[in-house]
Amino acid sequence: MWVWFSKLGSPKWFYELSGKWLPWLIAAMVIFMTIGLVWGLLFLPPDYQQGFTSRILIVHVAVAGTSLAFFPLMFVAGTITLVWRMKLADMVAKNAAILGAWFSFITLATGSLWGSVMWGTWWEWTDSRLVSMLFQLFLLLGVISLRSALEDSDTAAKACALLSIVGCINVVIIKYSVEWWNTLHQVSSPVTTDASSPNGPEFWIATLIMIVAVYLFLSVSLILSTRNEILERERRSQWVQDLVLKS
Amino acid sequence: MLDAIQFSSFAEFVDMGGYGFNVWSVYALFAIFVAVNLILPLRKKQKIIRQLKRRMTLDAEIQREDDSNGE
Repeated sequence: MWVWFSKLGSPKWFYELSGKWLPWLIAAMVIFMTIGLVWGLLFLPPDYQQGFTSRILIVHVAVAGTSLAFFPLMFVAGTITLVWRMKLADMVAKNAAILGAWFSFITLATGSLWGSVMWGTWWEWTDSRLVSMLFQLFLLLGVISLRSALEDSDTAAKACALLSIVGCINVVIIKYSVEWWNTLHQVSSPVTTDASSPNGPEFWIATLIMIVAVYLFLSVSLILSTRNEILERERRSQWVQDLVLKS
Repeated sequence: MLDAIQFSSFAEFVDMGGYGFNVWSVYALFAIFVAVNLILPLRKKQKIIRQLKRRMTLDAEIQREDDSNGE
């Protein structure tokens, strides 16, 4: 276990292993994305109240749910960086912040596009779900600018680990905001096999497929940017130079 | 299976029951989001490799010049 752990921390080992995984992850991502999008755009029946705007929801729910994974991921990566001095974890944390900001932004934008027709408003400041998601976006932008401002990577890692604790607390608030407070944003629909229910299998299975697709996309994108980071940070090492010569 | 398609014409498909602008905006945003976050890292990798290659050839030339100067 410990040998495996310290090996995983080695950028070279991760670069080689992730190179083997990538084609499979990309293939799975393309398959799930295609099924999810075709199902969503062509086959998903109109909701009895929302009409075809329910098609927005399968994308929105998948991106929004996945966006909650970033701060816990950054917290784990930050802890590993600080405790075991693992460079690789720091590279993952750095790129996760950037991708997480994208996820939060797309969550807000797709939610607005749905709300503008279903709620009659693009934005509602009194809604705790909306505001806590906006806070997550700002927090991630804060992490990104903190990293670019602090040259010293050790200080940056510490500061970002601290911010990701705040981010994790906020994730809990985002998750339960619709239950704790009276929000315009609806609570999540229960999963049911009852085909006559408004949230019947064709809705939640389509959503589930999109969630898998979005998680696969997150992994592929994060692995790609982490590999770039490895190449840049390890550019003086022999194995990177060999790799460049071969390409 | 084709019976399950919710539209009988392309115009209907574009219209999305009157919510065309919102539905298509969301799918377009999502497509851009996915494409950008895959294409940018792939292009960056090519750039990094190109730069490293250039630097290595440059280093090799300097090394050669130093060697010949030393003689």
